[in-house]
Amino acid sequence: MRIKIAVVAGLGVLAWLLPYTLDSYAIHVVNVIIIFALLAVGLGLAMGVAGQVNLAQVAFFGVGAYATAILTTRAGLGFWFAAVLAIVITVVIGLLVGTPALRVQSHYLGIVTLGLALAFTNWVTNSQIAGGAEGISAIPAPELPGIDLSSEYLFYYLELIVFALALAFGLFVVRTGLGRRMRAMRDDSLAAGALGAEVPLLRMTAFLLASVYGGVAGVLYAGLIRFVAPESFGIANMFLLLGMVIIGGRQSLIGCVTGAVALYLVRELLSDHPTYAQIGYGAVVVLVVVFAPTGLAGIPPRLRGLRRSTGEAARLQPFQPYEAGASGSDEVILIVDAVKKQFRGLKALDDVSLSVATGEIRGIVGPNGSGKTTLFNVISGLYKPTAGRVEFGGRDMTNVTPYRLSRAGLSRTFQNLRLFGDLTVRENVLVALDRSRTLDSWQYVLAPWLVRARDRRLRAEADAVLERFGLAEFAGQAPKALPYGIQRRVEIARAVAARPRLLLLDEPAAGLNGEEVRQLGEMVRSIRDSGVTVVLIEHNMGLVMALCERVTVLAGGRVIAEGTPAHVAATPAVIEAYLGDVMEIPTEATR
Amino acid sequence: MQVTLQTIIGGISLGAVYALVALGFSLVYRTMGLVNFAHGNVVTVGAYLASTFYLSTKLPFALAMMVAIAVTGVIGLVIERVLRPLENKDFDLMLIGTIGFGIVLDALIIMIWGATGRAVPSPVAGAPIELFGLRIRTYDLVVLAIAALATVLLVLFLSRTKRGAAMQAVAMDHEAATAVGIHVGRSNAIAFMVGAGLAALAGGLVGPLLYVSPTLGGALGIKGFAAAILGGFGSIPGAVVGGLAIGVLDSFAAGHFQGYSELVTFLVFTAIIMIRPTGVFGERTVNRA
Repeated sequence: MRIKIAVVAGLGVLAWLLPYTLDSYAIHVVNVIIIFALLAVGLGLAMGVAGQVNLAQVAFFGVGAYATAILTTRAGLGFWFAAVLAIVITVVIGLLVGTPALRVQSHYLGIVTLGLALAFTNWVTNSQIAGGAEGISAIPAPELPGIDLSSEYLFYYLELIVFALALAFGLFVVRTGLGRRMRAMRDDSLAAGALGAEVPLLRMTAFLLASVYGGVAGVLYAGLIRFVAPESFGIANMFLLLGMVIIGGRQSLIGCVTGAVALYLVRELLSDHPTYAQIGYGAVVVLVVVFAPTGLAGIPPRLRGLRRSTGEAARLQPFQPYEAGASGSDEVILIVDAVKKQFRGLKALDDVSLSVATGEIRGIVGPNGSGKTTLFNVISGLYKPTAGRVEFGGRDMTNVTPYRLSRAGLSRTFQNLRLFGDLTVRENVLVALDRSRTLDSWQYVLAPWLVRARDRRLRAEADAVLERFGLAEFAGQAPKALPYGIQRRVEIARAVAARPRLLLLDEPAAGLNGEEVRQLGEMVRSIRDSGVTVVLIEHNMGLVMALCERVTVLAGGRVIAEGTPAHVAATPAVIEAYLGDVMEIPTEATR
Repeated sequence: MQVTLQTIIGGISLGAVYALVALGFSLVYRTMGLVNFAHGNVVTVGAYLASTFYLSTKLPFALAMMVAIAVTGVIGLVIERVLRPLENKDFDLMLIGTIGFGIVLDALIIMIWGATGRAVPSPVAGAPIELFGLRIRTYDLVVLAIAALATVLLVLFLSRTKRGAAMQAVAMDHEAATAVGIHVGRSNAIAFMVGAGLAALAGGLVGPLLYVSPTLGGALGIKGFAAAILGGFGSIPGAVVGGLAIGVLDSFAAGHFQGYSELVTFLVFTAIIMIRPTGVFGERTVNRA
């Protein structure tokens, strides 16, 4: 920590002294680099952190610059007032450009944002007010009492301060709740939603952040160059910017800044051969995505990883049971009423009804393809039922989004494990623990100390959860590197960290060995004793018989039996369903 | 009415070119779930190659086109081979990789042919045909005929040949395809090669219609993509219908909004994606992204 502060202070002093060593052309280059670095941070936040393929970043830059130019030269506003308005306009445009993200992702989003960026250049090249192809010149220099900002040397200090603040803010966002939730959404938007992350709002937040950085960069550009023309905001610069972010490492803001500085300097060195420079950085982009997807920023951790590999391996500790809390009551927590779910011709669920009492452990069993996971997906809001109702905690929750259900006290795990791969184990748990709302993100600007305090508290809580589940030694590791059984346990710890009233476990014992299954049974019972109702899908009949008070049997999308495990096991329809299955799929019996 | 019909006819020949571009996009997408962002640049390469062989080496137009298609086919193979380690792993990274290839191709084009464009004379002589008071350029008919022929050949290849059937299987489930012994990498390579060839065909055909310049492919690529989405991404008939629709939309936008036609086209395109991301002929095999 001390070293970090010293490094930052040292860099600050160096940056402050830099202009004394530079001639007037070099300071101009540095000023442009800072603007590109700001843009890269914005793009990194949207694309690397939140996973939103945003190819309109250069258009946000253009909107900021053009708005400043038009407002100062055409409307005669003062520079600073125009600057504030320009940033507001950029944010509005940014949110509009981001709305398709609510419907489409990945490639589609990339091409839509690219199309809208082209639409922007098309507009400025044709529009009278934007000066057409000639652009707008003679933008007044920003004024500060006592400081002549038309001097590039002094403008540098303005840029430096803005940039330092912007970078610090970006890093603050990435390392606290909001950024963590955005990274979780990037890695797995379904799981993030099921843990209470408001996915649509987070996507818009990503575009909001990208457009603020784009707008600020645009304002600085207008103040620095005092001339805007369409080609500065075209596709070529968009791809240059993309190259900066990819080469630097999109998931790390420091990486994005490094990429911006490095690529711009190289381009400046090769300014006599722009096409060679372009071939060069295009090729580097290709090589980076294939061989080093984390970019320059990924190199130090890799080296550290090589060095550390000799260290002692982390070990799984035993689960520490909860103190027995609230006991069961007769209250009903979950009612599924005549739910149907149809996928085109296939009836996955046909008139399924069941109700679960508070404090119960309910088993849901049935042959493969009988609709168990579909039922979970309907209950947790991932699927809309074709007909029927789901009531949770006494309220109708049919068609309620997963994140609302999560916030109402429903939590789940997934059959195929959906851990956030690029987050550490601790961060996985933190995403679930953090129940703050994305709408409260104004605190990041107005009351950052509240955010910090909350984050510190959450970290302590996360460590307590990991300790209880015996995962403390894995806290800093990436889940992908862990053995399967431990990953399963991390997912359960994460689901419990959301402090649910109802916990849905989808095949928690799949792939576990005998001892691990026994530990799982202990864990589930203890979680229930702490006052959480549990519904689990399971093929391991031994576990179901030992653990569940009641069992519901599904076959072909219908409930064919329900009762105590012993009662269900003796029901002829169940035996028939299972035996029929055994004959068709012999592996079923061995599970 | 007369004007409307004339506008539609004006849009259809460009629409046929968009359809060819869209077919290339769709073929790659349905096979490997990837949008090739370098596709537009490959169109430009094709346009320059075809026009160079036609104008400078005085090859017959058809032969110049063949050479262009062969060369871009190789480019497609190279792109696929380099990005193969990412296939079926990280689509966002692969997408950025194709953008990287686009950047390289863009620079190569400027290096070889310069930043200024060239006009290509129409390879078929003859006055426009007058039909019910409508003027139809003979070259437009040639474009339509070649585009139709290419589509039919592609459909036959996909449905009647073993290799084509294998590609269909990869499109539906690449894991199951591997399990029955289909070489997924080779299948993807062929998709990329054929896709790039279609791009060159589109570029070569559009040369005499538009001005060949380094920015030609950017506009054609994104409109071809819009066409593919409009028809239902990954669908072959969808690409054709979408291409013609975008061509006509373009023609109307150019008539009504002049310089702003591109702006209008992209806004309409965005609205369509938001309303119906699966397009008109959306298929089940497109659920992969």
